[in-house]
Amino acid sequence: MKKKFSSDTVLTAAFYVLLAVAALIAVFPIVFAFVGSFTPENYVTQNGFTLFPKELSLETYQYVFQSQGYKLLQAYGNSILVTLAGTAISVFVTVTYAYVISVKNFKAAPKFAFFAYFTMLFNGGMLAWYLVCTKYLGLKDNLFALILPYSMNVFNMYLMRNFFKGLPYELTESALVDGAGHITILTRIILPLAKAGIVTITLFYALQYWNDFYLPLMLINDEKYYTIQYILYKMMSNIQYLAANPSSSVASHIVLPAQTIKMAITCIAIGPIIIVYPFIQKYFVKGVTVGALKG
Amino acid sequence: MYLLALPGTIALLLFSYFPMTGIILVFKDYNFRGGIFKSPWATPIFKNFIYFFNNKSTAIRATSLTVMYNLLFFAVGTIAAVAIAIMLSEIANRFFVKISQSLMFLPYFISWMVSGAILYALLNPQTGMINKIIAAVTGSTYDFYAKPGIWILILTIVNTWQSCGYNSIIYYGVLTGIDSSLYEAAKVDGATKWQCIKHITLPLLKPTIIILFLLSVGNIMRGNLNMIIGLTNLNPVLFPTTDLIDVFVYRSGVRNGEMAFASAISLYQSIFGFIFVVLANKIAGKFDEDSTLF
Repeated sequence: MKKKFSSDTVLTAAFYVLLAVAALIAVFPIVFAFVGSFTPENYVTQNGFTLFPKELSLETYQYVFQSQGYKLLQAYGNSILVTLAGTAISVFVTVTYAYVISVKNFKAAPKFAFFAYFTMLFNGGMLAWYLVCTKYLGLKDNLFALILPYSMNVFNMYLMRNFFKGLPYELTESALVDGAGHITILTRIILPLAKAGIVTITLFYALQYWNDFYLPLMLINDEKYYTIQYILYKMMSNIQYLAANPSSSVASHIVLPAQTIKMAITCIAIGPIIIVYPFIQKYFVKGVTVGALKG
Repeated sequence: MYLLALPGTIALLLFSYFPMTGIILVFKDYNFRGGIFKSPWATPIFKNFIYFFNNKSTAIRATSLTVMYNLLFFAVGTIAAVAIAIMLSEIANRFFVKISQSLMFLPYFISWMVSGAILYALLNPQTGMINKIIAAVTGSTYDFYAKPGIWILILTIVNTWQSCGYNSIIYYGVLTGIDSSLYEAAKVDGATKWQCIKHITLPLLKPTIIILFLLSVGNIMRGNLNMIIGLTNLNPVLFPTTDLIDVFVYRSGVRNGEMAFASAISLYQSIFGFIFVVLANKIAGKFDEDSTLF
């Protein structure tokens, strides 16, 4: 009896240790970037990036804001604008559609459901999508290009429908008997009850818009519309370009905090997420648990 | 009702159904002015296919890489996520569970671009932290960005890092739903914790694992372009292990405008993707009626 007790204790202790290690691995790169952004450039050039540099400085941030301040501010503004407007549009489109296919006695509901579902089965591929956006829809070099293509994510729509289906249908039915229209029912009855679901998909969309660099990569050339993620992308490719051509005249006489600057932009890009994360993560956990297995 | 469905319908039409017409590109000699519809038909009509089969090796490489990574990511990711979920469920301290779960979930919120920038700061031969450690131990640096082989490992690790907290939440959700009387009965019979995990927890997770596997099989032909661009910046040296179907279509079709080959491989990806999704769904439906996407 005693032996068994101790083997369980050992196992539990091992679980604590392993989980602690896993959690540390998960946050390590983020802490690493944060420290990196405060390490002076010449320290990095000599010693490389470390978690515990001997000196810290603000020089990278100073450089970033002095030389790139306007560009960054603009990109930040674009990111915020796209995230806010995009999330609002997406949530609107998604919620209305999800409501339509969740109403039980609406005859065309299965048709609409399949209409959305089919897009998960089959798609025209990236190439055709790109040509349609740029050539036929005029989504090139404008803010709409960064928003509209994501206006409906079918997964989120199904997630929302599952939330709606969890509500008692009698509510809708009795409101219909009382002569209420569907728009009234949706805004007055359903939405207040499905708050948790709305919050979840709102956050999913916001995260998608904020982290996106696919749309700017595909549809944006004009610097005016760069987002913060795309600035980081540009910076990564430019510095690799400089590294690949050490003899080029650009690289030889410009001394810029090439290494730490990327860490600074990284921190600027993830800053808002880290700040709101403690408050929002429980909604994500709920959304993942509800949505994952139910498509 | 129809009014409410309108915005969603328009969005689907424009961004999903309209691009489906792009399938005909494969029979066309694309030029920019003509676009999808007015470009002249290819002569002979199967010209693009002939081109495709003449460059079979690229297509085979792209396909096998895409499939390989998807399977690898699933296998490693699932093992890590299940292990974490089981460990979490065995720990009684709520506070510890909450904190470690939040920390492990955090990478899911980090974009590939940001991950790539951090990865570069870790791996690059001049200032990368990992390379400094390697240099301290072996005396020479290791240029990760010139060795395609090692990227199979790197991509798998980064992918697991990013998604494992997210996936473990799914499994943890299943575990918290398990009837605790099972464990109590096992305890009365003198089972150790390890035996409980092996004989109760794992078998109960099996259906979930199978379903998630089938759902991921449905996406087996899709490569994660964002990930590759974010982490490798489309470094051509690494193409032998990073040139997924989507990456290939992007760099040849979108960036260089070589529509012929890109349109053929795109069509092939769409068709096989479709077959896989439908098959996976059929099989998933046999296991559990609720878990199909239908």
